[in-house]
Amino acid sequence: MSESREHPDLQDLVGNDLEPSEREQLEGVHAMLLEAGPPPELPPSLAHAPTPPSARVIPMPRRFRYPAIAVAAIAAIAIFWAGYLVAGGPDPRPVETLAMSGTGGATAELALFAKDDAGNWPMELNVSGLPAGSYELWLTRGGELAASCGFFAIAGDEVTVPLNAPYRLTEFDGWVVVPKGGDERVLTT
Amino acid sequence: MATDRRTDAELLAQVAAGDQPAFEELHRRYARSVLGIALRRIGDRGRAEDATQDTFTSIWRSASRFDPARGEATSWLYTVARNAIVDGLRRRREPPVDEAPDMAAPGPGPDESAEHGWVSWRVHRALEELPEQERSLVELAYWSGLSQSEIATYLSIPLGTVKTRTRSALRRLAEELGDDLR
Repeated sequence: MSESREHPDLQDLVGNDLEPSEREQLEGVHAMLLEAGPPPELPPSLAHAPTPPSARVIPMPRRFRYPAIAVAAIAAIAIFWAGYLVAGGPDPRPVETLAMSGTGGATAELALFAKDDAGNWPMELNVSGLPAGSYELWLTRGGELAASCGFFAIAGDEVTVPLNAPYRLTEFDGWVVVPKGGDERVLTT
Repeated sequence: MATDRRTDAELLAQVAAGDQPAFEELHRRYARSVLGIALRRIGDRGRAEDATQDTFTSIWRSASRFDPARGEATSWLYTVARNAIVDGLRRRREPPVDEAPDMAAPGPGPDESAEHGWVSWRVHRALEELPEQERSLVELAYWSGLSQSEIATYLSIPLGTVKTRTRSALRRLAEELGDDLR
């Protein structure tokens, strides 16, 4: 009989007679369960979905009806086109924002958006204070450049560029910006 | 176990049309996942529960904005949940405890935090799809501190049955996790 323990052992849980492919698959599930931790228990107040908010209908005087419809239609068209032109995705807000700093007062803000189905982490990098030139954003591991997230150029005081990290981010420990083709850290997290 | 085989995307489309049973089913599937990330982000249980309510109200209101051509429903729901939790914190004028710092800070970075949040979201959602006896077995095996033998004694079932059911549960979780599986 096994002793009580903090983390279970996969072999103890399922035995040792698994095919290698199945073992690999279950090891993946095992690792994710350990990382996720336990789901919370729901209190009685969350046992059911909240009552959806309902709209209250206010009757409109008849004389205002047709002008109001016309105004609403114009407003709806304007809002639609404004949204069409401005929106870049289902929700443009980042899930995390990371500050970077460098020598000479250079700074950057790296906005990380929700991972897509293919495993890409879309990002937007806003950089200011770097000398004009071409640069590259890297993920680091153990302080070493490990995975490139793309190039960008800066010619003025500030630039904002979309970039992408198609990686499992937990495998890395930082972000840096280096001159294109070089390894001098000009911005770090 | 969930017997409703509608996909999350189908449920969202029905919620967008005002279907309250579809909304209830989405709540059954995601309530623990939402509460989980709210607890991680806020810390305080009462406020996390309020944030969970806010999240589902937000899902009800914005379901029509979900476009299946632009991504999976679970990713969209994750984003809505995170934004609703942060918005709720801002309305209360209290900063979230793990909001990204302005300067680099020790401990897990935002990237790691984001990845961890996503893993929790997917795993907790997948657990909701297990039969009840398998789900409780997984929770006992991973988070109670009990050994398999102790679980067998606790549930009054043979040790072999515990292992068989645990293996079955992990296989089912692997199917549910799909491409997110490591």
